[in-house]
Amino acid sequence: MDVLIQILITGLTLGAMYALASVGLSLIYGTLGMFNMAHGLFMTLGAYVAYSAAVIFGVPVVVGILVAMAAGALIGIATHLLIVRFMLGSKEFGTNILVATAGLGILIEDLILKTYGGYPYPQPLKVEGYTRLGGVTITYQAIITFFVALTLILAVAWLLKNTRFGRAIRATALNREAAMLMGVKADSVFLQVMALAGMLAGVAGLMISTQATLSPQMGGDPLLKAFVICVVAGLGNVWGAGLCAFALALLEATIGFYFGVRFGFPTMLLLVILVLIWRPQGLFGQEQVVRL
Amino acid sequence: MKRFDELTRHLLIAGALVGTFALLPIFITQRYLLGEVIVFLIWAMVAMNWNLLMGHAGVFSLAQMLFFACGAYGMAMGVTFANMSVWAAIPVAAISSSLLALVIGLACLRLTGAYVALLTYAIAEMTHVLIITDTECYTLVRNNCQQLFGGSTGFSRFDDFGFRPLLKSNWILGNYYAVLGAFCFTVIGVVVIIHGRLGLAFRAIRDNVGYASSRGINRTKYQIAAFALSALLTGLAGGVYAAHFRFAGPSLFEFSTLMFILSMVVVGGLGSTWGPLIGTGTMMIVVEFSKELGDARNLALGLSLIVFVVLLPKGLAHLGTTLIVKVKHRPDQEHRNPVRQAQE
Repeated sequence: MDVLIQILITGLTLGAMYALASVGLSLIYGTLGMFNMAHGLFMTLGAYVAYSAAVIFGVPVVVGILVAMAAGALIGIATHLLIVRFMLGSKEFGTNILVATAGLGILIEDLILKTYGGYPYPQPLKVEGYTRLGGVTITYQAIITFFVALTLILAVAWLLKNTRFGRAIRATALNREAAMLMGVKADSVFLQVMALAGMLAGVAGLMISTQATLSPQMGGDPLLKAFVICVVAGLGNVWGAGLCAFALALLEATIGFYFGVRFGFPTMLLLVILVLIWRPQGLFGQEQVVRL
Repeated sequence: MKRFDELTRHLLIAGALVGTFALLPIFITQRYLLGEVIVFLIWAMVAMNWNLLMGHAGVFSLAQMLFFACGAYGMAMGVTFANMSVWAAIPVAAISSSLLALVIGLACLRLTGAYVALLTYAIAEMTHVLIITDTECYTLVRNNCQQLFGGSTGFSRFDDFGFRPLLKSNWILGNYYAVLGAFCFTVIGVVVIIHGRLGLAFRAIRDNVGYASSRGINRTKYQIAAFALSALLTGLAGGVYAAHFRFAGPSLFEFSTLMFILSMVVVGGLGSTWGPLIGTGTMMIVVEFSKELGDARNLALGLSLIVFVVLLPKGLAHLGTTLIVKVKHRPDQEHRNPVRQAQE
C-alpha cells in the first residue's frame, strides 16, 4: 500500500511538471505548426529569473511563480517577434523553424551559462517541510507543484474553451486561412500563443528546479519527455497532451521504482514507439487526409 | 557544357577535390594544421551524409550523431574487447551502425516530418543517458573498471591506425591519408547516390510524396534505404574518428556537437551537393574565431543557425541564385500572406 502511494505521489508530481511543459508545446504546435526546440530553455530561463528575484529582492514563493511566468511569457514573445514572425508561411517552415529554435536554445543556454556559471544552485523559492500519509513522506513542495500545475492547466483550458481569445486560438489552429478570412488577426493570435506557452514553460521550470537543482542543462530532460508526450498524444492535441503527461509520468514512476530510475525513460520511449506503430497519428490525434 | 552528364561532372569535381587534398601535405607541414584538415574531412563526411538524408531524402533525422557515435564506439569496442585490428574494426563498426539505422528506421519512418525529428532525437538522447548512467563493470582494463559501453568517460588510449612505429614523427601523414581514403569513399558514394537513380527517387519523394508514390516509388522503403546508407557512411566517419583520436566517449552525443554539424549543413545549403563542404569549412573557421573571442562557440553556433535559416534558408551554396532571384522579383509579401496564396 505504501509503495502504491509512493508511486502515485511521485507520478503525480512528475506528471504535473510534464503537463505544464507539454501543454505549452502542444499549443504552439497546434496553432503555429512549429516545434519549439527552445522550449526547454524557456523553462530554464523561468527558473533562473525566479532564482534571481529571490536572491536579490527576497520575493516570496507566490511572487516567484508570477516572476517565472512573466519571464517565460517575455521570452516567448521575443522569440515570436524576432524569429518566428519572419518565417511563418515560408517554404519548409516545419523543418526550418526546428533548426532556428534549436539554434535559439543553444544560444540561451550559453547566455545562462555565462551569466550564472555552470555550478548547480539549489532553488531558494521552495517550501520546506513535509507531511506523512501512512508510511510515506510527502513534501509540501510536491503538493504545491501539483496544485499550481493543475490550476494553471485548468485556467488555460477555461481560457481556450470559454473566452473570445480562446476561440480565436482554436479557430486559427483548426484552419488558419478560414480564421483569417473571418477576421481573426492571426499574427496577434500567434503572439498570444507564444506568450501563453512561454508562461507555462516558465512555471514548469521553476517547479522542476525545486525538485532538483538549477543548472543550464536542466531543461533538456523535461523537454525530451514533453516531446515524447506530445507525439504520443498526437501533435497539437492540447487535452491529449495533458492526459498523456500524467499517464506516462505514472508509468515512469512505476518502472523507476521497480527496475531503477535509469530505465524509466527508455521504457516510456519503447512504449511510445509501439503506440506509434499501431496509431501513427498518436493516441488522440485525428487521421489526416492529405489532399494532393 | 553538355558534354558530361551530371553524375560524371560531379564525379570529376570529387576527383579534383580529393586530388587537391592528397597534394595538400606538400604545402602544409605543420602538424597542428594537418590535424585541423583531418578534423575538417571527418566533419565534412558527417555533414555530407546528413545533407543526403535531410536535404535530398527529406528525412529530418536528429540521430546523425548517434550513428557517428555508433561507428566510433563500435570501433573502440571491437579493438578493446575483441582484439580486432583497427582496419577490420572500422568496416564492422560502419556496418553495425547501418544495421542500427535499419532498426530505428523501421520504427520511426512510418512517421513523417517533425515526428521523425522528435523520435530520432529522443532515441539518441536516451542512448546517451543509458550510456553515461551505466556503472556496472564489464571487464578490467589496466586495473580500471571498464563498462561495456564505456560509462561516463568512454573509451580512450586504444590502438590507432598503427602509423606511429612505421612513420615515426611523420605518423600524422599516415593518419591523414587513411582519413582521406575514407573521405574519398564517402564523397564518391554520396555523389553516386545523389545523382543516380536513388537520388532521383529521394527527391521525388521529398518534393511530392503523392506523385512519387503514384509512380510506384514506395516512400517508406526508399527513406529507410536513405537512412541505412547515410548511417553506413556516417559510421565509417565515426570509426575513422575513433581511430585518429583514440577516443570514443559520450561527448559525441552532446547537443552542441549535433548543432555544430547541423549548422554546417544549414549554412552550406540543404539539398545541394557540395554545400556541406563549404558549410563545414565556414563553421570551423567561425568557431575557431569565436573561441578566440572568449569561448563564444555555442553563441556563434546558435546565431549562425538562426541567421541562416531566417535570411538564407538555402545556404551558401545557393547564395548566388538566391541573390539573383531577390533582385529580380522583389519578394514583397508573397510568402507571408497565406490568404492571398489560397486565393490564387
